Amino acid sequence: MSLTVARVEPSIAGVGDYIELMKPRVMSLVVFTALVGLVVAPGHVHPVIGMTALLCIAVGAGAAGALNMAYDADIDALMTRTANRPIPRGRITAGEAAGFGMTLAAFSVVTLGLLVNLVAAVMLGFTILFYVVIYTMWLKRSTPQNIVIGGAAGALPPMIGWAAATGGIAVEPVLLFLIIFCWTPPHFWALSLYRTEDYARAGVPMLPVVAGDRETRRHILIYTLLLAPLGVTPWLLGYAGPTYGLAAAAVGAVMIVLALRLRAERNGDAASKQMFAFSILYLFMLFAMLLVDRMPGLAFGHLAL
Amino acid sequence: MTTVSNPVDDFTKRFMGDPLPPIGVKLTEQQRRARRARSIAIALALGAFVIVIFLVTIVRLGGNVLTRPM
Repeated sequence: MSLTVARVEPSIAGVGDYIELMKPRVMSLVVFTALVGLVVAPGHVHPVIGMTALLCIAVGAGAAGALNMAYDADIDALMTRTANRPIPRGRITAGEAAGFGMTLAAFSVVTLGLLVNLVAAVMLGFTILFYVVIYTMWLKRSTPQNIVIGGAAGALPPMIGWAAATGGIAVEPVLLFLIIFCWTPPHFWALSLYRTEDYARAGVPMLPVVAGDRETRRHILIYTLLLAPLGVTPWLLGYAGPTYGLAAAAVGAVMIVLALRLRAERNGDAASKQMFAFSILYLFMLFAMLLVDRMPGLAFGHLAL
Repeated sequence: MTTVSNPVDDFTKRFMGDPLPPIGVKLTEQQRRARRARSIAIALALGAFVIVIFLVTIVRLGGNVLTRPM
């Protein structure tokens, strides 16, 4: 019997590589939406408990990002957008990323459970599991509906924020979940329209790869038509003031105009790039307005005129 | 200047030929710097974790933090 021992070179990975592994841009959106869920929830949360909850959610999101990169290293190496990530670049091994991700996941969920509450911890654990197992390992490589169903993971943070503040779930955070859930497809399909070759090379069945540009543009319009009115519902149901309602209607209208232009465009990537960029601003505006709405004296809805 | 011979090396030379090369991995300067940076980051993260636990304990227990059954 022979024993083969693989010689592993000592790591040259710096702190920056590990931070990159946590997908800091995705993490910032997760933290922001979770903060909104936490702030709009009824009752008072001690700032230290609130900050702890956000820290755990941020670390949990980073863990999910690291585990995603560990599993997807093979296809990341084939796509221009992701070829520069730490694993394809040879800075970190997939095993190191997996270990890092699992450690962070365990720490974030257990800490959230012990220091904040169990409901929020269970939801954070479910979100990480959903993103890594359901989206990354299963859906991403098997169906063009990957980002539609997988989008649930990205939509959960405001519900976790709400649960951290209240210990439960209500209609309002479910609305916030639905807004992000309907926002994800137009956002990612707009990106995949001008990255189709990348996804095709990696064998990822994104909608433009499987069904073509025309069908993707139609799908983007359908989801945008669902999203725009959904964005206004927090005001219609009385959860937010008129400032929010007006802003949501305005940015929703811009989203529809961009989706219509994208549908009409025959050649070039200008409209899809514009749609992708504005979709980020759209979600940011919506959640920022919800925050403003909850701060007395800042929103018109709360001014004693 | 006198040189002190290493009895282990002497023994190895006499009975087993030349001494064995040093065991272990020799880090390059880049690897050493990367490891140091990672170690500092882990230390800072653990320090932050301890501070978070401390602060939440104080917030949760408030004035009762010193009250315990004797």
